[in-house]
Amino acid sequence: MDILTKLNSPFLYLICGSIILFAAVICVIFAVRAFKTGKEMGIDPGKMKRVITASATFAVLPSVGILLGVIALSGSLGTPWPWLRLSVIGALHYETQVAEAAAEAAGIGGLSISNMTAEAFSTIALLMSFCIMWGMVLVTFNGKAYSSRLMAPKTQTKSDKKGKLDLMAFGDPAMTAMFIGLVSAYIASYIGTIVSGNGLFTFTGSWIPLAVSAVAALAMAGFTWIREHRKAEWIDSFSIAGSMLIAMAAAVLFGRLG
Amino acid sequence: METRTSLYERYLDGTHRLGRAFTSCMLILLLGAPFVIGSYLGSLPNLGAAAKAFLSIGIVYLISCIVEYLIYVPMLGAGGSYLAFITGNLINMKIPCAMNARDIVGVKSGTPENEIVSTLSIATSSLVTILILAAGVVLIIPLQPVLQSPILQPAFDNVVPALFGAMACKYYRMNPRISFIVLAFMSLLFILVPSLIASTSMMIIPSGALAIFLAYLGFRKQQQS
Repeated sequence: MDILTKLNSPFLYLICGSIILFAAVICVIFAVRAFKTGKEMGIDPGKMKRVITASATFAVLPSVGILLGVIALSGSLGTPWPWLRLSVIGALHYETQVAEAAAEAAGIGGLSISNMTAEAFSTIALLMSFCIMWGMVLVTFNGKAYSSRLMAPKTQTKSDKKGKLDLMAFGDPAMTAMFIGLVSAYIASYIGTIVSGNGLFTFTGSWIPLAVSAVAALAMAGFTWIREHRKAEWIDSFSIAGSMLIAMAAAVLFGRLG
Repeated sequence: METRTSLYERYLDGTHRLGRAFTSCMLILLLGAPFVIGSYLGSLPNLGAAAKAFLSIGIVYLISCIVEYLIYVPMLGAGGSYLAFITGNLINMKIPCAMNARDIVGVKSGTPENEIVSTLSIATSSLVTILILAAGVVLIIPLQPVLQSPILQPAFDNVVPALFGAMACKYYRMNPRISFIVLAFMSLLFILVPSLIASTSMMIIPSGALAIFLAYLGFRKQQQS
């Protein structure tokens, strides 16, 4: 039996499928508890249903992208392991990088099925799990203390009231700013790619990612205009997914041009 | 009758208890699986090679995970954080998804409503991903020619730019001045040091820090006036 057949064997599907099923059960338990508690706390069930609908529609397109990641990795690692990695804890941008580094360290040169050995595969699999587990470790050992500290109401003294800022009120602007920073890092990298991607100020890098972002932004502006001017609040649930779909369709067109 | 506060506190206690138990089990399963699979394949992982690779690339992800933890836990609340760290894909899906849900129903961070909304949002998006991936794996053979067709390839290569374009429109409107300064600064940085383009995920740290610093200056000015 060759290595790819072993990596796609029912035993591996069983191991990986069971762990994914466990993750799905955790999600269901958390969702049911949150919904029940939300209702008991007086949160409008209609609002919570809107959250569920919006999140489900939002997740469809990125999930198809993640599925493509599974397909891309399945040629060198078989299907079950990338399926597990990208369903649980993994991230699309992370998996290939770590798998490549592990393949080099395992002595097979790079991530390729032609050089894959059983030892190299199990080493790659271990490293893919190990490198990205720290968020889980931190949230297990420090999550309660950290989130309790964030939510604890501050007792104010007289001197606090006089000159100090109400830092709790800074939570929302800080989160918006963090998101502006996150988005800007990516958009700026597309600008940097065009201008200096192939050497300083050569202006020969790929323009497609920036053009796709621009189309998505325009589409989003259109959805926002409809919501605000036609009072169509329901459109919010589909605006991100719809903008992405329009931009991805434009990417197909740009691909033919560029 | 139980008050809203005590109900919420009881919910949070249960969330932490369950979250820690489930996360610990998942850690054991994920670290144990390579050894079980290695035994089946006839060769256990080479720990020396794994340590070497960890030193080359794992350190970057160790720092990245710590930063993600510090930044995202306040955004996601307790339940959302346990789920997000178990199911992954934070930047490209869970965080924007939770923020989108939060904005749609108009809740503020740090509130009990945000805790409930984040948990529902991340649980739902994780289940959708699990279902789509499971369906995709079942259909992987008939789907492969469609999904890997060269015509559709640019669409799937550009999922992330499409996502960030849409999010840019949404968030840049909220604070155009900060957005312009941060985007201009980061663009200049990437233009002058193009090698940084390969580490964009790490560049979120200075970009986010600059945005938060500028937001803080504005906030302080507003509070003082």
